[in-house]
Amino acid sequence: MVFSHRLSYRIPFCSAKQARIAQGSLQPDPTLKPSELQAVYTVDDNVLTITFDGVSERVIRVAANNTIENLKTVIECLEEFEIKSC
Amino acid sequence: MPYYSLGLEGSANKLGVGVIEHPLEKIAAYNQANVLSNVRDTYVTPPGEGFLPRDTARHHRNWVVRLIKQALKEANIRPDQLDCICFTQGPGMGAPLQSVVIAARTIAQMWDLPLVGVNHCIGHIEMGREITGATNPVVLYVSGGNTQVIAYSRQRYRIFGETLDIAVGNCLDRFARTLRIPNAPSPGYNIEQLAKKGRHLVELPYTVKGMDLSMSGILEYVDSLAHDLFQGKKNKQLIRADGSKVTVEDLCFSLQECIFAMLVEITERAMAHVGSREVLIVGGVGCNERLQEMMGLMAKDRNGSIYATDERFCIDNGIMIAHAGLLAYRTGTRTTLEQSVCTQRFRTDEVFVSWRED
Repeated sequence: MVFSHRLSYRIPFCSAKQARIAQGSLQPDPTLKPSELQAVYTVDDNVLTITFDGVSERVIRVAANNTIENLKTVIECLEEFEIKSC
Repeated sequence: MPYYSLGLEGSANKLGVGVIEHPLEKIAAYNQANVLSNVRDTYVTPPGEGFLPRDTARHHRNWVVRLIKQALKEANIRPDQLDCICFTQGPGMGAPLQSVVIAARTIAQMWDLPLVGVNHCIGHIEMGREITGATNPVVLYVSGGNTQVIAYSRQRYRIFGETLDIAVGNCLDRFARTLRIPNAPSPGYNIEQLAKKGRHLVELPYTVKGMDLSMSGILEYVDSLAHDLFQGKKNKQLIRADGSKVTVEDLCFSLQECIFAMLVEITERAMAHVGSREVLIVGGVGCNERLQEMMGLMAKDRNGSIYATDERFCIDNGIMIAHAGLLAYRTGTRTTLEQSVCTQRFRTDEVFVSWRED
């Protein structure tokens, strides 16, 4: 499948562990239409990279917005519940 | 040390978080679970409007972390004392479910705890059994999104009858929207208050189909009566026997009588079929006192009894998810991150009830 559009986020966390937790929380949910959009999550040290490949700007925008909303919940959890700060 | 679990519920417009304690040994009447905390925040929409998935999800995201903190604080439990994190995996609205599971996954990873995905209906059933002490009841599950008559057999909660279209609570809520009255705190609550003042029964369609029922036609019918009433159109159904006019209260009363009678009918058939004398009513509409009264009369005729809970446990809550999840956890159920995807459709009878041996 060839996608015409791509968007990448690079999100730095305090630690590699936090980046992996964020990946673990976001990655399981599949995209609604795999034929129109794919999301790939990779962690390199403390940086989480999310790459969206899609058939249009619209599908990417919807997915990217939703991912940011979810990311906000993840980060709020990390901030509020981390026993020791990084 | 006892077992502790944290449960997160957000399948509809209520966000609930609860912490439950199970004493060691088997759960039984002499060894009951303890509710340590049970907090809830409801996404309330203006009268005349329903709740939309996107807005509901936003509400849950805004509150979930605060509610988790509050639940732990009230329970006086530290994360490292917990055994598992339980969450509603379905059925329900997709976006709200997904917004809550994100928090569940994150805290489970942070605190190094297993996740347990819970079927929402099973949560209601198990919490109802635990609170009321009903051992093997026929369960009537009536809420804003679900209407099912359920009986247990060989490690499954089997669906005997259900709605073919919309749920009872949805029918009541949508009529409430027509009347422009609010839906809080539970489905049909404000209809119930108006119905108490109704005296005249307007005949509505009665649509039991075998063990199932259908409510969309009744809603359509009563909606059109309400429109005629508001617009002052002539309709002979809107004139009482004494010549006076039918009121909104009469319509609420008639709607309740009609659909609750249908529920009583299929519940009674299920009881006769499985030979049970107990009825357990769970779900948001289960708080309705008129429904409890009608069901009670039927059960009394069969020398049986009804079991119902109050609004803390009837209306969607986190504690029931914590409880049902912990029962599953104790018999070895674990949900991996990959398996933790929520699903809008998740039938009650898909769940293997590993914690019951009868």
